[in-house]
This record gives sequence, structure tokens and C-alpha cells, in this order.
Amino acid sequence: MIAFTTDDRHNIFQMPDSKTSDTTLRVSNVTKRFGDFTAVENLSFDIRAGRVFGFLGPNGAGKTTTIRMIVGITFPDEGFIELNGERISHKLQNRIGYLPEERGLYKKMRVLDQLRYFAALKGITRTEADERVDKWLGRMQLSDWKKKKTTDLSKGMQQKIQFIATVLHAPEILVLDEPFSGLDPINVEFLMDVIAEYKSADKTIIFSTHLMETAERLCNDIILINKARKVLGGSLREIKESYGMNLIAFRGTNAEKILSDRALIESVITHADEQELHLAKGVNPQQLLKRMVDAGVTVSKFERTEPSLNDIFIEKVSSESGLNLQSEVYTDDR
Amino acid sequence: MQKFIAVVKHEYKKMVFKWSFLIATLMLPILVGVLAIVPAIIFALRGEPTRIAVADPTGKIFARLEKNLSGERLMEKARQAAGEQFKISASQEEELRKDAAMFMLDFKLVTVDPAGKTGGQLRADLLGMIMRDEIDAYLIVSQSFEADARFEFRSRKGGDFISNDTFQNALNDAVRSQRLADANISETQLQELSARVNIDAKGIDEQGVEKESTGTFIASFVIGLLIYITLAIYGQAIMGAVVEEKETRIAEILFSSARPFELMFGKLVGVGLAGLTQLAIWIGSAATLFAILASQTDLGPVIGAVPPITPLMIFFFLIFFLLGFFIYASVFALIGAMVTSVQEGGMFAFPPVMIMLAAFYFCFAVIRDPNSTLSFWISVAPFFAPITMPVRILSEMPAIWQIGLSFLVNAVAIAALVWVAARVYRVGMLMYGKRATIPEIWKWVWHA
Repeated sequence: MIAFTTDDRHNIFQMPDSKTSDTTLRVSNVTKRFGDFTAVENLSFDIRAGRVFGFLGPNGAGKTTTIRMIVGITFPDEGFIELNGERISHKLQNRIGYLPEERGLYKKMRVLDQLRYFAALKGITRTEADERVDKWLGRMQLSDWKKKKTTDLSKGMQQKIQFIATVLHAPEILVLDEPFSGLDPINVEFLMDVIAEYKSADKTIIFSTHLMETAERLCNDIILINKARKVLGGSLREIKESYGMNLIAFRGTNAEKILSDRALIESVITHADEQELHLAKGVNPQQLLKRMVDAGVTVSKFERTEPSLNDIFIEKVSSESGLNLQSEVYTDDR
Repeated sequence: MQKFIAVVKHEYKKMVFKWSFLIATLMLPILVGVLAIVPAIIFALRGEPTRIAVADPTGKIFARLEKNLSGERLMEKARQAAGEQFKISASQEEELRKDAAMFMLDFKLVTVDPAGKTGGQLRADLLGMIMRDEIDAYLIVSQSFEADARFEFRSRKGGDFISNDTFQNALNDAVRSQRLADANISETQLQELSARVNIDAKGIDEQGVEKESTGTFIASFVIGLLIYITLAIYGQAIMGAVVEEKETRIAEILFSSARPFELMFGKLVGVGLAGLTQLAIWIGSAATLFAILASQTDLGPVIGAVPPITPLMIFFFLIFFLLGFFIYASVFALIGAMVTSVQEGGMFAFPPVMIMLAAFYFCFAVIRDPNSTLSFWISVAPFFAPITMPVRILSEMPAIWQIGLSFLVNAVAIAALVWVAARVYRVGMLMYGKRATIPEIWKWVWHA
């Protein structure tokens, strides 16, 4: 998990009026249509301070549309979005830090000038902006590049500058759209640090991803959407527990007879050196283990495992729509 | 408002602190100078004299032709021609002399005796001389030239139209004076009979105050051209800036920070201010240069030819430049928001550029007759007025209500265009990958 650091970098986020109420962002019955196409349908969820919120779903599910409504680029056709009880408006944009999926910088402009401009658009004064730019560039060891143009920077450096532009105005809520896509490994670590800092400063972080593994590593809460609708949502732990009661990782010999007993085990998936047992309804792991021992099976591994988010998603979506989604595999491509 | 100002500052700096701005600012005056001087230099560069063999069996033409093509005679003719077109002062005459000398055409005539040769032999001989590069051209005078005025002239320098023209004039004069001699009329008598009329042509305004028409023409043309060039450059600059923000996806960050309208309008104002800066530099440096020249030399006649430009006129120029800028800039911003690349934008920029060019051409109609019905409508019509109205004001100040009407019509056009452009901008800037179709844009405008 994330390593919490306690050095002075936290000062960057110190905000005197930081709210600590439980729900910071509320998305309530939001629908957004483009012509005949419904991009988001009746979506509701709450995001709590001090927790990392993962917004999951395959490409084209409606994640970016929702995020654009959260940051005030577009507005819902129905329903509403509130930040600390206030409806999202252009006025609130100064309190939101947004890293879009499609990231860009002015090609021929110096790093300092770009950051100053982005800061000015968030209502930060010039002197304040200069101070923060120095701080962030120093932290990323990019101080020497302050007066260089974007075209002189490597792709990784440009990604760093884009982060700085996102957090320069010390936003209360951080909205990251597919933040890890195309990121180099150093920047991935850096981004994780920032997320950890925000979390420990009790701020709100929401990020979207189609990579379930990333979400599993970082999120406290998730919402899963597919085809404009919510599939499931809540605390990651609870979701996994509710789905994770019936999977056993097993290694042993002399077990053929028991494994083929459909009253006990619904299905068996054989991996290289172990097997994954899917318990039949009404059977708990204790009962199975007892039966195995009684039947003289030599057990070298017997472990209750959690399903991956990917498994949950596929199961949930295919059971709802009757579609076989096994072909859509969501893997972490980092 | 604070964000709007940030956008204006950003766009202004982006335009002005750029090499291309400095280069454009310096280049235009240089370019204008070059366009004015280079043709003269190039024509003056013609080096060698044109060698012409003349076969004159009549003996009546060669001597006259040689005289007509002599240096003194050509210079005199040039001076006459110049003096007839412009009323010139003594100092300018000196200038013209130099110009005439610069254009001085050099002919070298040799005579060839055609006696005892058939037409075919003579031609063969002359062609041989051309092939051996002894001559560049030949002229055969026919025995019956006085009756049919036919001459055979062949030249290797067929494209040297100035020489050909001069040569033909000289030959014409030679034949004419031969005919006069035959009719017993002397050259002096002829000159007395054919003295040209002298029209004292000057424009007047409605108060009857005299104006110099040539100066008005040039000044109107310069104003029209300057506005046209500036609008074209800055309109396209707007489009480039919009496309850049769309292409690099910066739009998404910007839209998460400020209202689309603030962003677009701030861009128009910032780039517009940069355009004004450039115009101010051009006009300011031209005025300074003029002042320096005026203190060094006697520019009395030149100053007399420039129409008086009042502060009110300058105010109107500024107003109409700004009207034009906002009209075309909003069109270019709209195009920038709907396309996916600068190249694609260039294609769509063609119609507004054509309209600008048409407006510039209409300036000539306005200069010729500032009070015609055409001039009235063209200086009121949106898209055209910003270029044609300043020209009309300079040619002849129209009634104030007409200027007011033109302003109103164009201001309404701007309001409508900015409204449409803002709506297209808001949606188009976040559409990646494909160019918006016209029906789509229609939908954004009315349903967005």
C-alpha cells in the first residue's frame, strides 16, 4: 500500500478552511445526453474526504462525461452535483484540481509562463504562483527547466509539469481522469505520493481508470459504471468481501473425488501449480476442508481468496446484461 | 473579470513576444520599400546596347531613326512624358532626369547596304549577322514604305518590350517627319499645331476645398491595404491559437478553470491588442521617418500631395479596424474550434479571406466614386465596411449618419458572430478526432 510520508511537503496542501465533513462531493441522479445518446444515466454517488475514490468502468462507459460535469466543464441535464453542499459552478472551479486524460501544454511557451497562466486562471496571484512554482519544480528536480520551452522537455518532464498545473492552486478536491495512462514509472510513483498526501490531508481524491488492478491498489471506495449506468459501488473492502466468500485456492493430492462432487464444488479452474475452487451454494470453506481431511486428501495449500475487481465486474455485468464479457480483459498495462 | 484579464494578457504576450511579430513588424516596411524599388533596379540592370542593322534602300529613314534613338532625344521624351502627367517642381524634375537616365535605353544602329541584293539574299545576310552575334535585330525598310508603312523587324530580344516599344516610337516619329517633310510642313509648325491641352485637375470636397487627387488615391489605397493585411494576419493568428489549444488538449484544462466565453473573448481582445500594437508601430515609425526626412530635405510638394488626416479620421480608422477585427476574428475562432488541425483550418479559412480580398478590391470602386450608391452600400455592409469605410472616409468624408449606420450594422454583426462562435467554441473545443459537420454545428448553436 501507500507509504505515508511526514516531511514538509505537506505544507503545500495546508488550507485554513479545509472542511472535514464526511461527504464532500455528491453526485445526485445525474443524467447527461448528447442528442439521442445518453452518456450518463441517473448516476448517484457520494465521495468522502480523506478517502481515495475510484471511478471505474470500460472505455466509453461515461467516466469522462461524469468527470467533466464534476469539474464544471459541462453541466448535467438532470440531477445535480454538489461540492461541500454547493452546486458546481464556474465559481467553484478554483477549488478543483483537474488532470484531464488528454493532457497538453503550450508547445512554444516557457514552463514558468505556462504555470503562471494556469495559476492565474485559478485565481492565484503572480507572486504566489511564482513561489509555488519554485517549490514544486524544486521537489521534482526540474528547477533548471523553469525557463525552457515545452518542446525542450522530455515526455516524462511534461507529465510532471502537467501535475504541477493540476495541484498548483492547492485544490480541495483532486479529479484525475485516467491519471496513470501513458505515465512513466517514476511519475507513477510520484503521483501515488501526491495521492497519499492528499488523502492524509483529508482532502478528496477521485480518479477514473479502466485498469481494475490500479484501482484495487489505491482505492478505498469505488463506483463501477458500464454503459452510462452504475453497476456497483461502495467500499472496496465490503464489495470484495461480499463477493469473496466462495473462492478457495487449493493445492493437494488425492483430491480428484472430492473435486468432482458438484454438491460441494461448483467449478474448478486449474492453474499451473494450484487450483481455484468455486464453492457450491450453502457450502462454507470450513465444511469443505473437513470433508477433504476426512477423505484422506493431502492438503498443502488451502486459502480463501478474494476475487479481483475485474472478476467482480465481469460477473456483475454479464449476469445483468446476459452478455459474455470474458473477452474484455482489464489488465494493468503498466 | 480577473480571469478574463489573465486571458487577455496571456494572448497578448504570446503574440507580441514572438520572433515572428518582430520580423513581421520589421518586414512590412522593408517589403513595401522593396516592392517599390526592385522593379526599377531590375529594369535599370539591362546592360548591353541593342544592336540593330537597318537596311534602308530609300535612305530616308536611317538618319532620322538614329537621331530619334540618341540618348539626348530619349531623355527629352521621358521628361516630356513625366511633365505632362504630373505637375512637377524643379527639384522633382532633377529626380526625373535621373530616373530617365536610369531607364535610358541604349541602341546602336548600323546600316547595311541592300544594293544589288534580292530580298532573300538580304535576309540571309542579316540572319547570318544575328547568328554570328554581330547584331541583335534587323529592320528592312521597303521601297514603298511611304505608301503602306510596312517594315520588317526581326529581333532576338523579342521579349524586351521596353526596347521594342521605344524602337517602334522612334520609327513612327521618323516616318511621320518624313511625311511632314513631303507635305512641306516643318517640325516647329507641327509642334505648335499639336500642343497638348492642359487640364488643371483637382478634387474638391463638399465645402469646395481643393484636394490633391493623386495623393488621396495613394493614401486611400495604403489605408485599405494596411487594414486588409492586418485583419488577414491577425484573423489567421486567432485561428492558429484556437487550433493549438484544441490540438494539444489544453482546452480541457482551460475549460476547467474559466468560462468558455471568457476564454474566447479574452483571446480575441488579446490578439486584437497585439494587432493594434503592430499597426501603431508601423504608423508611428512611418510618421517618424517622414518627420526626419522632412527636416533633412524639402518635402513640400510631397506633403502637399498627402490629403489632410484629421484626428477624427484616425478615430474612425481605429473604430473600423476594431469592427473588422472582431468580425473576422470571431469567424476564424469559430473555424478553429470546428477543425482538427491547422491544415484543415487553412482550407476553411478560404471563404473569409476571399471576402476580405473582395472588400479590398471594392476599395478601388470607392476611391473612384466615394458617393455612388455602390460605395454607400459597400461601406455599410458587414464584412466589407471595416475595409471600405476608412477608404471612403479618406476619399471623401461621408455624412455622419452613414458612418453611424455602418458602425451599427457591423456592431450587430459582431454581437451575432461572437454569440455563434462562443457556442461552437464551447462544444467544438472538446471534440477530438473528427471535424464537426455543418449540421452538427447548427445543433451546437441552437441546442447547446
